Amino acid sequence: MLKARWFKVINDLFGNKTRTLLIVLSMSVGLFAVGIILSARTILSEGLSESFAAINPSSGTVRTIQLFDEDFLESVRNMKDVEEADARRNISARLLTKSGEWKNLTVFVIADYDDIRVNKVSSQSGAWPPPERQILIERAALSVIEAEVGDVVLIKFPNDVERRVKIAGAAYDPAQLPAQIDGTPYGYMTFDTLEWFGEPYGFNELHIVAINGEDKAWAQRVVNRVKDKIEKSGYTIPLSMIAEPGQLPMNDVLQGILLLMGLLGVLSLFLSAFLVVNTVSAILTQQKRQIGVMKAVGGSSAQILGMYLVMVLAYGALALLLALPLGVYGAGALSAALAGFFNFDIYSMESPPETFAIQIAIGLILPVLASLLPFLANVRISAAEAMSNYSMSKGRFGGNPVDRLLSGTSLWFARNLSVRSILLSVRNTFRNKGRLTLTLITLTLGSATFISVFNVRASLSSTVEDMIKWFNCDTMLALDRSYRADKIQAEAESIPGVTGTDVWVQLPARLIRADDSESGLIYMFSPTVHPESLIVSPSLSEGRWLAPGDENAVVVPSAMLLDEPEMKLGGDITLKIDGEEYVFKIVGTFKGMAFLPIMYVNYDYITKITNRTGEADALMIAMERHDPEFVDAVTREVEERFEIMGIKIGLATTINTERRDAEASFDAIVSLLFAMAVLLALVGGLGLMGTMSINVLERTREIGVLRAIGASNQSVAMVFIREGIVIGVMSWAMGAVFAIPMTQGLNQALGQAVMGTPLTYTYSMPGFWMWLGIVILLSVLASFIPARNASRLTVREVLAYE
Amino acid sequence: MNSPTVKPLVELRRACKVYDSLAGSVTALDGIDLQINPGEFLVVTGKSGSGKTTLVNILTGLDRATSGEIWVIGEPMHDYGPERAAKVRGKSMGVVFQSFELLPTLTVLQNVMLPMDFARRYPIWEQRKRALSLLEQVEIADHAKKLPTALSGGQQQRLAIARAMANDPALLIADEPTGSLDSATAEIIMDIFDRFIESGRTVFMVTHDRDIARRGSRIVTLSDGKIVGVEDSTHA
Repeated sequence: MLKARWFKVINDLFGNKTRTLLIVLSMSVGLFAVGIILSARTILSEGLSESFAAINPSSGTVRTIQLFDEDFLESVRNMKDVEEADARRNISARLLTKSGEWKNLTVFVIADYDDIRVNKVSSQSGAWPPPERQILIERAALSVIEAEVGDVVLIKFPNDVERRVKIAGAAYDPAQLPAQIDGTPYGYMTFDTLEWFGEPYGFNELHIVAINGEDKAWAQRVVNRVKDKIEKSGYTIPLSMIAEPGQLPMNDVLQGILLLMGLLGVLSLFLSAFLVVNTVSAILTQQKRQIGVMKAVGGSSAQILGMYLVMVLAYGALALLLALPLGVYGAGALSAALAGFFNFDIYSMESPPETFAIQIAIGLILPVLASLLPFLANVRISAAEAMSNYSMSKGRFGGNPVDRLLSGTSLWFARNLSVRSILLSVRNTFRNKGRLTLTLITLTLGSATFISVFNVRASLSSTVEDMIKWFNCDTMLALDRSYRADKIQAEAESIPGVTGTDVWVQLPARLIRADDSESGLIYMFSPTVHPESLIVSPSLSEGRWLAPGDENAVVVPSAMLLDEPEMKLGGDITLKIDGEEYVFKIVGTFKGMAFLPIMYVNYDYITKITNRTGEADALMIAMERHDPEFVDAVTREVEERFEIMGIKIGLATTINTERRDAEASFDAIVSLLFAMAVLLALVGGLGLMGTMSINVLERTREIGVLRAIGASNQSVAMVFIREGIVIGVMSWAMGAVFAIPMTQGLNQALGQAVMGTPLTYTYSMPGFWMWLGIVILLSVLASFIPARNASRLTVREVLAYE
Repeated sequence: MNSPTVKPLVELRRACKVYDSLAGSVTALDGIDLQINPGEFLVVTGKSGSGKTTLVNILTGLDRATSGEIWVIGEPMHDYGPERAAKVRGKSMGVVFQSFELLPTLTVLQNVMLPMDFARRYPIWEQRKRALSLLEQVEIADHAKKLPTALSGGQQQRLAIARAMANDPALLIADEPTGSLDSATAEIIMDIFDRFIESGRTVFMVTHDRDIARRGSRIVTLSDGKIVGVEDSTHA
């Protein structure tokens, strides 16, 4: 048989279902946030490594200019320390989209689709292997090329052969950068189809898996030995790449997201704790009188504390019942969305047991700890006080400078204004400063996060703008080979709408480290450096931009200095260009992505050392107008003119597309941040609702007085709604200030993870004003239910309450 | 007045209570000296604000005196913190309030069982039996399974008395027990108190109703926190 006190606990829990539901919901929102973040973090981390391991990722990739065959591949497979090797043909083709835009398309030609041994590609849907004269498209690329399985697309090979090819299916190739991020779609065909395009049989890309390839330095040595063999066999290697062991191409960005999720998880935890303290305070305030009665009939503090702790534990357990399955579901959905964005499969959506353990600990232990504070505060008051009627002596207002500031003497200017009820709301706000502080902390954190998310979004845009603003052009054309610079510039400048042109040379380069190992592929861009150049300095992190007359000066991405410890600003580096080694001095670093290594050197110097003086393989075009329609139209005209002239374009990119692609790569992060901000705002709103409910309860007698002196339902409700708004606006103001360091922290974390340098700080005024609107709405909604309850109280009920 | 040979059950020596507020200090009790003997039905009366409820609070340990001594059944309540005071109340005192102060989420039976649960005085299987017996004594056993809100005012006060008697206290302290009741119901409550006295126990009651006060064996009148009159009632 249960003791009488436990009946009280049970009856309190289930007797007031609305209150229980509100408390359980408040707690479960925090627990859900913690669960979803921690679970998704683990699911993504594990899914990423499992997914990547499943494709047998290469330790390194070597490209050759001359084609090689199966016999050579077999000889590489038989090399010592080579665990596996595979080969494919890599062709940079172009594809005409439905909107009439020529998109770059990397076509992989694989000999046996059922025996891919390294960087495995698998079927996602449709035909497998690709039928003759048909193509498979990487699943993440279908949206980029604006096509679906079954569509027929026009593909143009570098040999100018154009064929209409049916998309027979979708392939899954997680080893490539997702097409929606780097803008390059991937296609897969057979050698029969390649022959149809007029290309000879043979491979030009070798994927090697080293034994013990998880040791990057060792894998580098094995790949170097393979390269030696390739070169000794008479092949030229234009580029080779070493992969980060066990990491997908977008690992840095994903790690940035996971880091942010961790930060938000900690934040959610804090908010949950504040919410619990607020909630428990609400329960204790409501039960203050009953606590006094229990003391009066002999209940000890320990006994009463035990009752409330069990009640809080029950709330926690109920919240867990809701939050655990929702967290699992949410984590699955979030993981699936992010995995889809980064284009990798997740084999297991199972939430880790540690997450459940943490949620259970938070759900059960945290409320108990959090409730000790308000409980001890309640225990300190005597039973007589707990049972006493509302006392003016305990009004708590008027005793300090803030109160005096809000009192009549300071507000002399308002004496003749009809703002009495507004002043009542403002003064009421400051009556219980402890509760106000807790509510403000919760809501301010929500406000700061919301504004910060908008700031981060604005900072990302600013950073992207910084990254591309030094391109004073609208279109960049990468040509298939070097052409005479003056000839292509003159042709382009003769087209109406073109206001200026500039050229550069771009070369593949590799960093030669002190131990003779080589880095992955580095894109070496060599722009002209003179006052009329269309390229001015990129957004520099440190040092300076190239200067006219610079010889071996190089500007490198800041992220690269983190990856390559030997590289220092002002230091020398050895770069391998066209098979020759050159020493360069790092004069500056710019904000750039870690996964896209680019270096800048002086055009005049590079063309001199590579014997290409007066030549260019890339053309930049500046136009009269910069809107996408105009730029696309002029670009098409330039392409057509060049085609007639026999100048082949390898890649055409507009600045508008670059901007769009760069911003798209951050969309997942911003969406995630936004979802978290909404969640935190919800937690803050629930906290405010809890506070307003307690305020109504505490002021039941006052409400009776207001009604007795003729206050209408609306007037009574408005006192509380205005109080909610005052708290909301205060949290907005404080959140707006707190958002400054929070944004700096997020910019630092996100920028370092993705680009090795903080994002360009920008404060989003739309976010600032939008949150003011939202917080007022939230405050009205959060205060509405308690205010409505207050307005419904009759004088008789007030007496009954006493 | 008090027989010098009988050891008093309750003794107050120069008991003072001062409340501090933003408006300044208010003396609610000003040097009260009072003794209550076993079996006595002492009634304290006085106007509103005279200090009656404060006297109940410091006597029961619901609040602490600012100075002076309060001895209840040999326990120095003036030295006790809230915890010790709660134990003394659970063991030796039953308290009845004007506004009943019943726990709204417990049934009538459970309300009576609660003090027994806190005091751990009776085994759990006896608590129910005893609670039913007490409810029978106050003639509301039929309502045992109802919530207090389903009872009339008189029934609620009878329930509060049953709860006060749950741990078989030597002293019953009642603060305006009939203040919220009609005169007929008040009579019933007073009859219960009489039966309590007849069973050899002591009652300390606060009331501002002179007719009700006359049911006591001794009447103490308070004014501005001081005893201004003591009279023996004909009732004794």
